[in-house]
Amino acid sequence: MSGLRSWLARRLLAGVAQTAAVVVLVFALTEALPGDAAVALAGDQPDPARIAAIRETMELDRPAAVRLLDWATGLLHGDLGTSLVSGRPVSTYVSDGFGPTLLLAALTLLLLVPVGVGLGVLAARHVGRWPDRVISSVTLGVYAVPEFALGTLLVTVFALRLGWFPPTAVGYGGDLSGHPAALVLPVLVLLSRPVCSLSRLVRAGMIDALAAPYTAQARRYGVGGARVLLAHALPNAVAPAAQQLARTVDWLLCGVIVVEALFVFPGLGTVLMNAVAERDVPVVQGLAVVFGVLTVVLNLGADLVARRLTPRAEVAA
Amino acid sequence: MSTPGPERRPGRTRVALALLIAGVPLALALLGPLFAGDPGPRATSFALGDGHWLGTDFVGRDVWRQILLGGRSVVVSALAATALAYLVALPVGLIAALTHRRWLEEALLRPLDVLLAVPSLLLILLVATVLAPGAPGLALLVALVNVPDAARIVRAAAAEAAARPAVEALRMQGESWWRMGVGYVGRSMLRTLAADAGVRLTGVLYLVSTAAFLGVGVAPDAADWAVMVDRNRTGLWVQPWAVVVPALLIVALTMGGNLLVDAVLGKGKPNAPRGKRI
Repeated sequence: MSGLRSWLARRLLAGVAQTAAVVVLVFALTEALPGDAAVALAGDQPDPARIAAIRETMELDRPAAVRLLDWATGLLHGDLGTSLVSGRPVSTYVSDGFGPTLLLAALTLLLLVPVGVGLGVLAARHVGRWPDRVISSVTLGVYAVPEFALGTLLVTVFALRLGWFPPTAVGYGGDLSGHPAALVLPVLVLLSRPVCSLSRLVRAGMIDALAAPYTAQARRYGVGGARVLLAHALPNAVAPAAQQLARTVDWLLCGVIVVEALFVFPGLGTVLMNAVAERDVPVVQGLAVVFGVLTVVLNLGADLVARRLTPRAEVAA
Repeated sequence: MSTPGPERRPGRTRVALALLIAGVPLALALLGPLFAGDPGPRATSFALGDGHWLGTDFVGRDVWRQILLGGRSVVVSALAATALAYLVALPVGLIAALTHRRWLEEALLRPLDVLLAVPSLLLILLVATVLAPGAPGLALLVALVNVPDAARIVRAAAAEAAARPAVEALRMQGESWWRMGVGYVGRSMLRTLAADAGVRLTGVLYLVSTAAFLGVGVAPDAADWAVMVDRNRTGLWVQPWAVVVPALLIVALTMGGNLLVDAVLGKGKPNAPRGKRI
């Protein structure tokens, strides 16, 4: 028991350290670069008044370390800073985009686990036969395809040729949950890569688990096939997959940005891309911290799930 | 588990199929610029026919010519980024695995762990906000994103090889670090690294093209398949070819590339994930 507790304490500490590192990294990448940040941010036709305004808003005349400290203390109090372009607090940008992104992410996660695990179990049950071959080749192929290319093709076929779904989310405003048709293609595209990786991992884990002595023993006791599959083999097969969920989290966050850009979805990804285009550094920084903290938290969750599923295995990197 | 005899045949057809899928975009990307010819006069945007057999794009250029020109940047950036990532990851991973000084190992690997905590595309977008990286800058960024993971794999493979009795024997013979590190350990982990490089290349291809689609590291009117997909989307209703053809080529390139890597390096062992099997 104390082993678990100390593991948990170490893991939480690592999470806190990672969060701090993310904050420093975000700051370093956007502000501590060589050259005059104000001139770079003013755009192609630098206007002296705009440069001066940027320098004042970002307090560029103060040393970088002091600015970092100020910014970090602000973050601790939930103050994400103020936009350079509109003067609105960054937190309003985050709350504007949060709803649609949460809807997209929740739907994707809700479907990801059953579809990914289901396909993996199905392939493992029929290993070497046609369902396995089809699932394995398709998941291997789609695994590496960028969302934007797949998404564009799906839009061309299902929105333009067949007219089943709207091509973008334009015109629905914030009320996306009332228009499920507009969500089908974005969720499908966002699911494509994580489902493939998850089902491949589950398939490999299931094949190992089904060949293990304990499943053979369970069969000898007369335990039914479905029970052996779902109650004995599956938990052991999912554990390595859960540890790999960290990579899936990274893909989902990247995917959200691309899918929102592709379908003109009014979420955090679109807010981020607009801020990047307008070189609105405080907004980009704020969103980067939000995304980074989310990654750290989700990774922590994935580790906890993996630990819970296989309590015996020491989770050593 | 693997029986060499009966499995050789399906393995060969898999390689052939993957080569077929990846071959078309690869050939277009590498040889296309040679056949592109001179730019013709600009026509109306999003027009069909009229001597342009794939129509024209958003500024009235011939789509087929843009296709011929647009693959090279994707493929070359991806190859360069993969090579660059290993250029850093190899020495870092090797030194971390072979050193006996714990602090050196920590000092080399801990800073890289920080990079892992930030989603890769986000890192690229962060830098793109302040700088406008060109194609070399984008390759550099994508390489940087890949260094931590590659260094970990190099370290793990090297640590396994360095723990073998052969290395102990070399050390007792007083062989130089160079001969042990590069001559023995480096050579014995080549297979693991080749498999990892293949998988990494497909990941890099994904990042390079996605960044280009989002407008990072490319000119807004660049001849680049990903940029074509993005910029010609406005004309999807009138002239779908300017979007569909480059999108199909990217799908074929990434899909075929991944199938090829798996068929060649996976050696027909579909149920053995890399580095498992005790």
